[in-house]
Amino acid sequence: MKVLVTGGASGLGAALVAACRARGDEVCAIDLDPAERSWAHDLGNTDPAAWAALADWLATQGPFDLVILSAGISATGRFETIPLAQHQNVTAVNLAGPIRLVHLLESGHLLRAGGRLICIASLSCFTGYPGAASYAASKDGLAGFARSLRRPMRKRGITVQLACPGPMDTPHATRYAPDGASTKGRLAPDRAAQAILNARSFTIIPGAGPKLAAVLGRLAPQTLTRLMGRVLFSKLK
Amino acid sequence: MWFITGASSGLGLEMVRLLAARGVPVCASGRRGPGDLPDDFPNIPYHACDLADPMAVTKLADWAMGQGPLRAVVLNAGAGFFRPLAQETPDAIARVLAINLDANIALAHRLCPVLSGGRLGLIGSVAHKGAAGMPVYAASKSALDGFGRALAEEWRGTVKLRVLHPGPVATGMATRAGRTPDFADRVFLPPRQTAAALLAALNAESGADRQTVSFLRVGLHRVLKGAA
Ligand SMILES: NC(=O)c1ccc[n+]([C@@H]2O[C@H](COP(=O)([O-])OP(=O)(O)OC[C@H]3O[C@@H](n4cnc5c(N)ncnc54)[C@H](OP(=O)(O)O)[C@@H]3O)[C@@H](O)[C@H]2O)c1
Repeated sequence: MKVLVTGGASGLGAALVAACRARGDEVCAIDLDPAERSWAHDLGNTDPAAWAALADWLATQGPFDLVILSAGISATGRFETIPLAQHQNVTAVNLAGPIRLVHLLESGHLLRAGGRLICIASLSCFTGYPGAASYAASKDGLAGFARSLRRPMRKRGITVQLACPGPMDTPHATRYAPDGASTKGRLAPDRAAQAILNARSFTIIPGAGPKLAAVLGRLAPQTLTRLMGRVLFSKLK
Repeated sequence: MWFITGASSGLGLEMVRLLAARGVPVCASGRRGPGDLPDDFPNIPYHACDLADPMAVTKLADWAMGQGPLRAVVLNAGAGFFRPLAQETPDAIARVLAINLDANIALAHRLCPVLSGGRLGLIGSVAHKGAAGMPVYAASKSALDGFGRALAEEWRGTVKLRVLHPGPVATGMATRAGRTPDFADRVFLPPRQTAAALLAALNAESGADRQTVSFLRVGLHRVLKGAA
């Protein structure tokens, strides 16, 4: 099986790459830093030449049976104190880049019939995320994109899935959590990776705690967002 | 002073017409130049700006702040195409996300200091739940919803922020976006009444941060206003 993972160098992406390689898949990765069987590309970069080079590389590696969009960055704090350029970088890397990549894969027929596309969004899609407004925007955007593609792609035999992991024990979580936040209750990335790879449902929420949060978020979206504001945002400001 | 984007057509146009008729001070923007505005456009300050151009967006925010103390801002401008992903182009994808998401983030960011005590309305769409016929537009509106959801909580007590999601409205936007008109068009919402319902939802003292403004809401608003 041929696999493509974005953000394959670190965190959940790296765990997904390792899990796929362990089961014998041929894995290609896209990340900022070049590594073995990977292509260095900044998804937030809009330079046509960089995208043309990526397209050429993908054409030599594909078509793929499984594509996982895992690359992502964040910016946490009060919305207005975070520089605008940082917000724009978050939406570029987490939303515009992935949409453009899927568009590229689609127009190049690089996703094989019978294959799978997994978009890694966030539990924030169910809870809201005050203190990370542009991040929440980008992840909800990716979720809306996955929901929109689900039916048209299924007609062509491609399964689209949306993974919404909660806090994980990755460099990403540590970088963006409030200072002194406990790492207890954070999911290990290799466990999240296994849960995602094994899942058959459209929405994938690894871990029992996050599953519960998602149910509550569905039932009482605004109450949960206010709770997030109290436990998270108040520590960030 | 109110400030409304996307006021040169459709819902934004109806909103500025309603506000001007009520004698509420309002300033407006759209992409087209002032010469291309409809003949009966109200006599209000207007600034042309392409929201896909980040420099122009900064200038627009500064222009709006210069029109007087802002009491309410409605970020209503929006664009998109009714077509499958394979028929999109990288440039069109970038433009739709820039107009529907990044420009609104930039305007909220720059206007934040003067919005204190006021209101901010973000006009989304029911497509934010996902729409097979328009994946890029749907993604941009889902993103706007997630942005507004987070910011409404961050700004609670300072700025009243609401994300309002209209159902299909007969502004011609869908046809311009590439959708072939069919029987479904007959159940599209009437633009003027929808605009009135949007303004009422934004003006209301209480209400959820995120609201769908669809048939039931528009109808209810007409009935209640007719009764009052
Ligand atoms: N119509 C519907 O069925 C429907 C349903 C749900 C949500 N909505 C949302 O409601 C809002 C208003 O829609 P509408 O139906 O009134 O659409 P519309 O009649 O097409 O008007 C769109 C407005 O946005 C402006 N705009 C578009 N691209 C722009 C750009 N690059 N820079 C600056 N301004 C730009 C347009 O300016 P110019 O005309 O001067 O170019 C126009 O004033 C949009 O956010 C839309 O997504 C519409």
